[in-house]
Amino acid sequence: MRIAVLAATAAAAFLGGCGGPETSQANNTQANISNSASETPTANASATTNGMVMLAAAPNKDQALKIMHDRHEAMEGLGKAMKSLHRALDSSPPDVNIVREQTAIMAATAPKIPSLFPAGTGPDVGKTRAKPEIWKQHDLFIRKSKDFVAAAQAIDAAAKSGDMNKVMALHENVDKACKACHDPFRAPEH
Amino acid sequence: MKQPVWDLPIRLFHWLLAGLIAFSWWSVHNQHTAWHIWSGCAILTLLIFRLLWGFVGSSTARFSSFVRGPGSVVDYLRGRWTGIGHTPLGALSVIALLLAVSVQVGLGLFAEDEDGIYMGPLSRLVSSDTSDKVRDIHELWFNVALGLIILHVAAIVYYRLSGQRLTKPMITGKAELAPGTEPMRPAKWWVALICLAIGLGITRWVIAGAPPLG
Repeated sequence: MRIAVLAATAAAAFLGGCGGPETSQANNTQANISNSASETPTANASATTNGMVMLAAAPNKDQALKIMHDRHEAMEGLGKAMKSLHRALDSSPPDVNIVREQTAIMAATAPKIPSLFPAGTGPDVGKTRAKPEIWKQHDLFIRKSKDFVAAAQAIDAAAKSGDMNKVMALHENVDKACKACHDPFRAPEH
Repeated sequence: MKQPVWDLPIRLFHWLLAGLIAFSWWSVHNQHTAWHIWSGCAILTLLIFRLLWGFVGSSTARFSSFVRGPGSVVDYLRGRWTGIGHTPLGALSVIALLLAVSVQVGLGLFAEDEDGIYMGPLSRLVSSDTSDKVRDIHELWFNVALGLIILHVAAIVYYRLSGQRLTKPMITGKAELAPGTEPMRPAKWWVALICLAIGLGITRWVIAGAPPLG
């Protein structure tokens, strides 16, 4: 029975490695979703308009922190849009206007993602959950961001056409596109 | 001679609960949120089963056999307790663990993930903001449950060091009893199946969003 006790102790020790009661860094900006989505990625845009050039000129510390802040707002705006969309699609019938608002935010924010992740805005510069892998595997990151743009634009087009069945069918693609990039490129919350 | 102490349903409950708690922790830290939610629903079934079994199960499973006042804890600490099943002190730990896990599951039902992809089965009953706050509390509350689990395991190690093996009876169901100790009175096996069926039924209703509420 010693083995079982040891195994149980080891399991507890393993569970114990899971960090203490840190409070989440929920950024309680009550900014209007659409505002934060449209205002965000203008900083440094000159250097990063197509999302592929950014390695040329790394931003200085202040610029980097500004971009990271804008990035946080934009991503949080996307999260809120996702939540609202999910809830809207769960109710029957879905409120078409609420659905359209959310998909419009997604379609507008998605193409800005590459410019929100220029080199020099990683965890070595400031507090961020962006993993260094974003810049180590930059081609993959850009590909994932383009998948998300495609998914967001497709669902937005469906929402604009008013075809809620199509929106629901495309919803899972958006979920998958978020997850496909978050899983490899976003660090855990704590 | 070895005598029955824990019935099969209690042992299955115990080890499934331990396994599912570990799995819930692992899955949520490895981007398997859907599995995490299913695991939580399975724990809900177990908890409902345990609640019912605590009223109609074998003698050592019944709350009436181990939920006692502080007097019996004092008696136990002075070495004046004889019996089988949960000791008066151990019973406090069991009750705290069951409550902590129940709160944890209850919170999880109302939580949604940070990306708006996964929603707990009852999260639609509350606003998105509330659901996000519930998730934060769900995360913090895990530390309460974890603390109790560590205490639980530490107590077992302590008893082992002082010569008493508690893990083996939880696997085999049997232990050496002092002469004259009243043995476990087993409940009927089919009563356990009814309790499980009720647990599954209520869990299905919760997964469906608790109609007509949801």
